[in-house]
Amino acid sequence: MTNDFVLQIKNLSVSYRTLNDAVSAVRNINLNVGKKESLGIIGESGCGKSTLSYALMDYLPSNGSSTGEVLFRGENLLTKTQKEMMAFRGNRIAMVYQNPYSSLNPSLTIGYQLDEVTMFHRGYKAKKARKASVEALADLYIGDPAGVARRYPHQVSGGMQQRICIAMALLCRPDLIILDEPTTALDVTTEVVILDIIGELKEKYDMSMIYISHDIGVINKVSDRIAVMYRGEVVEVGDQRTIFKHPEHPYTRALINCMPRAGVVKEEVRLNTIPGYVARRSAADTGCPFVDRCEKRNADCEAKYGMIERASGHFAACDRAYAEDVPDRKRAALKIPKVGNGSAKEEILLEISDLYKYYGNQHRRVRALDGVSVSLEKNSVLGVVGESGCGKSTMGHTISGLMAPTKGKILFDGIDISISWKQRTPEVLRDIQLIFQNPGRSLNPSFTLEKIIGRPMKKLLGIQSREERKKRIVDILQKVDLGEEYLYRKATQLSGGEKQRAAVARAFSIAPDLIVCDEPTSALDVSVQASVLNLLGDLQNESGAAYIFISHDLNVINYISDYIMVMYLGRICEYGRKDEVVGPPYHPYTQALLSAVPDVDPSLIREPVRLEGSPPNPTRKITGCPFAGRCHRKIGPICDTTPPPKVQASDDHYIMCHLPLDQLGDAELDKPGNLTKTESLMKTVKA
Amino acid sequence: MQFLTWLIKRLGFVILTLVAMSMLIFLLVEVMPGDVAQTVLGQSATPESVAALRESMGLDDPLPVRYGRWAGGFIQGDLGESLYMRGVQINTIFWRKVGHSVILALTALLFYVPLSIFFGVLAGVKAGKLTDSIISFFGLATMALPEFVSGILLITLFSVKLSILPITSVIPIGQSLWGNLHILILPALSITFVMFGYVSRMQRSSMVTVMNSDYIRAATLKGMPRGYVIFRHALRNALLPTITIIGMNMGWLFGGLIVVETLFGFPGLGSLTLSAIKTRDIPLIEACVLFITAIFVFSTFLTDMLYVYLNPRIRFKGGDA
Amino acid sequence: MKDFLTMLKRSPAAIIGISILLLWILIAIFGPSISPYTYTAMDMENQMTAPGQGGHLLGTDSLGRDVLTRIMYGSRTILTIALMTSLFSSIAGIIIGFSAGYFGGNIDTIFLRVMDIVMAIPPLVLSMVVLGILGDSSILSLTIIVSIAYTPATARVARGALLSCKGFEYVDAARIRGENHLYIMFVEILPNTIGPVLVEITARFAYSIMMIASLGFLGVGLQPPTPDWGMMVIENKSIIREAPWTVLYPSLAIASLVIAISLFSDFVNKVMVNDK
Repeated sequence: MTNDFVLQIKNLSVSYRTLNDAVSAVRNINLNVGKKESLGIIGESGCGKSTLSYALMDYLPSNGSSTGEVLFRGENLLTKTQKEMMAFRGNRIAMVYQNPYSSLNPSLTIGYQLDEVTMFHRGYKAKKARKASVEALADLYIGDPAGVARRYPHQVSGGMQQRICIAMALLCRPDLIILDEPTTALDVTTEVVILDIIGELKEKYDMSMIYISHDIGVINKVSDRIAVMYRGEVVEVGDQRTIFKHPEHPYTRALINCMPRAGVVKEEVRLNTIPGYVARRSAADTGCPFVDRCEKRNADCEAKYGMIERASGHFAACDRAYAEDVPDRKRAALKIPKVGNGSAKEEILLEISDLYKYYGNQHRRVRALDGVSVSLEKNSVLGVVGESGCGKSTMGHTISGLMAPTKGKILFDGIDISISWKQRTPEVLRDIQLIFQNPGRSLNPSFTLEKIIGRPMKKLLGIQSREERKKRIVDILQKVDLGEEYLYRKATQLSGGEKQRAAVARAFSIAPDLIVCDEPTSALDVSVQASVLNLLGDLQNESGAAYIFISHDLNVINYISDYIMVMYLGRICEYGRKDEVVGPPYHPYTQALLSAVPDVDPSLIREPVRLEGSPPNPTRKITGCPFAGRCHRKIGPICDTTPPPKVQASDDHYIMCHLPLDQLGDAELDKPGNLTKTESLMKTVKA
Repeated sequence: MQFLTWLIKRLGFVILTLVAMSMLIFLLVEVMPGDVAQTVLGQSATPESVAALRESMGLDDPLPVRYGRWAGGFIQGDLGESLYMRGVQINTIFWRKVGHSVILALTALLFYVPLSIFFGVLAGVKAGKLTDSIISFFGLATMALPEFVSGILLITLFSVKLSILPITSVIPIGQSLWGNLHILILPALSITFVMFGYVSRMQRSSMVTVMNSDYIRAATLKGMPRGYVIFRHALRNALLPTITIIGMNMGWLFGGLIVVETLFGFPGLGSLTLSAIKTRDIPLIEACVLFITAIFVFSTFLTDMLYVYLNPRIRFKGGDA
Repeated sequence: MKDFLTMLKRSPAAIIGISILLLWILIAIFGPSISPYTYTAMDMENQMTAPGQGGHLLGTDSLGRDVLTRIMYGSRTILTIALMTSLFSSIAGIIIGFSAGYFGGNIDTIFLRVMDIVMAIPPLVLSMVVLGILGDSSILSLTIIVSIAYTPATARVARGALLSCKGFEYVDAARIRGENHLYIMFVEILPNTIGPVLVEITARFAYSIMMIASLGFLGVGLQPPTPDWGMMVIENKSIIREAPWTVLYPSLAIASLVIAISLFSDFVNKVMVNDK
């Protein structure tokens, strides 16, 4: 062994031929991965991080080509034939992908797909291979591994599928494991457990690891060293603490700053944004990839571009870096009145009482909303947070009228609107608007923005003159930072952030009183998310509209909301002013969520609460507390049999839990009764 | 248990379809203009004799009564009496011809199913390469080619130019089909052309979809050899849509049989149907069309079962862990 | 449109297909008027003459009729009927398929069941039975019957195209804006299904040619003496040994037209659906 590196990447570039030119997907990458080291690669969509991972495995589509060297323990993988690569793939270098469900063959049993790995690489016979597979599943804390091996992929949950993929990758005890966004498709509480297991097994088997993610918080958790990628290049690389505490490249700084994070709220801070968007990079472009969006650019940028060693092991491709940590921009101009401080209450805009929504038939009834009551004041923001399947979107859809609730009442300005759009009056349709998660799907790709934004004006405001509409559209487009030139563009010609701005413009174009925002930033990159959140904050402040803001991301919710409502399995766990909800006393589920949210500040990382299993089948009727099955603070049978009481913690802070308030503080929750890491992992597998 | 309920439901639907079909066919044929009795007796018949015949054939009964009589006979295996060949029971001529057609159809299936699957898979695996272009072009060219056109081309080559196969596929009097199997070759090949176009293109596109899927990438990056990935991981999933397509096109196959049998003079169900139509032999038309429909309905049913058997996602529904 | 031309340049098969199709359209429009013969004129001195002899470019049939002239006349009827059929069945299919897919629920279930039942009779058999019993097929009756026979297939395609768009949130956005069903179906959704719909129309065009030729071949299509490609083949099949051109050229005419349209349809598919 000439050195300790498991993997050395030298001057690696990947380009794709397209019809008209060559696109440079990855260029001049130099990275090393040491023994037992974990390298995190972070970047937004389109930065080339996935292409890089496939290039390492020498697996590129037919129009792709790579140059440079990928030295795996001294051997250059790029000069190997596909046949020679077979000995490396899955054996000495293994990979785990973003979407576990589609990465498993639907028509072969899980056991079969595991067995074949050792049968090929180790020459095991069927029996021995199965034994190894079952052991690998057990390593991942999967209960009844032999039984799981006999099942088909669609018969197990998403979190379980990803564990199976990881088990498969570890079968041959590889030297290096590459994880490409392995938890992106999973809920936060599932993510925590998977990340734990990965960390544990990496230690156990002395593996090196490359972890690829767009999520700064996750990268922060799992990496020893971090490489930041932008438009195909690594712009900064260094150890985890340095990157987060003293980023040197303006892009790294900007990326970290634009994340909504604990303690950052709209009243105090405007999120940093990165102007512009990620443009496609042709092979002919040279120089700093970030120069067009950089606030620190100057005349020297072109001449001086190149990697510089800032400190031992810390490289950055810019010397106009931040010498000192720069504080967030305080929001000075915008003074948002704190709401509901015990003083005179604002008028109630929306009142929901005992709302139920069931899907399916009497044989298979999914209880999406199971008795939800909440009210919303005028000019305030209610954040609704929960994991997938908790009913938060269903709630948004019943309010906006996409569907009628099964039972219960929704009063909007005194009018009963527990009916679907078919029966609503034009006034109600006008006054409640909905912003969807995916702007690519919510804007009709065949229409221009003029038609997209103008149609609601014509239909709901009754503005018949096209000129008049055009004038208003230009006004509103300018408000969302889109110029007049966007008027005749089609939705397909816009970038993701521009599309969502257009969708926001459509919602605001008819001056509604209430806007339901259904995960409006989840499909966007963080830098774009920040600008959309700022925009939504500004417009809300300016127009006085109220929001129901739905998100799975507690940091986003905490940033934008005045009140927060935490949902689990169609019911409310906790409701209150946001500072009350994110601080003790907590509902145990809120606490678990809070602890699971990955943070960008390494000093803020907490020991997460590990929840057992995944949310129960929503078709089952729940008599007690919906969270009882996974709760780390479960008292006893009472949790399963009796619905928890609505305990009032303060004026407008409620917690639905059997535990007394004084036991729901930080210290109490973290100590007794809480399972140790391994214990909880062992328990997570119970189906 | 789940499978059993599914099976019963599916069988129920098969019966329902057949009943609805029989009504539809009956209506279609019976409401057509033209007096059956007049047709039978010819234009010179006196009104009295026409009326008498109508009476004796029960043509003056209301529609439901006539349908009941007809369908009742069908259930008991009585297909009725031919109008054109007076006094001939349809049963005596029908089944032999059906047998011939089934043998021809099976021969065609034997030709085109392996061919189209093989070349479809090959084109899918080699997507974008020259092999793919050639196979795809050929498939595209034959996709909508009428069976008689491919038949004429085949006859010109094999019968007129090379003289190795007969121009017509007639069974000599006093012989059976089994002694003259070579007459099946050209008709079956004519059908193979159009079916190849359709099925191979479907097979190619499903193979391309599967080969681009995440799980094929995952299998390759597990270090599995390419041949193994194609046969063990890709093929089974890529065959599922093709099986459905083949089943759904059994009706088309029988439509094609009519054309091919007419071209080659082959004594089967197809040429029988055509002559029944030409002679306005109502009971015979009804029997032929209902039989073709039944074949379609049952083959769809069988492919559904095969599909369920091969697809674990349907076989084992749900069941969270 | 610019994309269309650039794509066309890269695809020689499509250029061949479109050229042949245009050629046939030109022949259909101008062919009969430049031909020295009429389609019924019998040249008694030149019966079954080989191609090129006696002033008959593609020879004559057993009655001494000029094969080329009959092919040129035949192209008129087959192109007209096929074009109308593909348009009518597609329009009917869009209306039925869109309604079923859009309203969903019981309407859709009933639609699917009825389609399953109707599709159990192969379109060729259905058209053949109806046309055969009606007798004396005309351009009108052929168009109507074949359109009806193809509608279940086009309706299924249209329903599929609608369903692929129905889940998009712009449809939800239109609903909670209070748009009516017709607006959502035909203003919001239809433009986004134009790709698959155009592919279906062009593919249906090829299948219509196939069907009409086959019906003519079976003798239930247009009636003599109107020249019909399929009929020309069956009429002369008995003299295939003596005068193969009488069946070969009409067959080749059908083949070239069908292949040309299929190539065109495949190109439309590549441009409108696959590369989107």
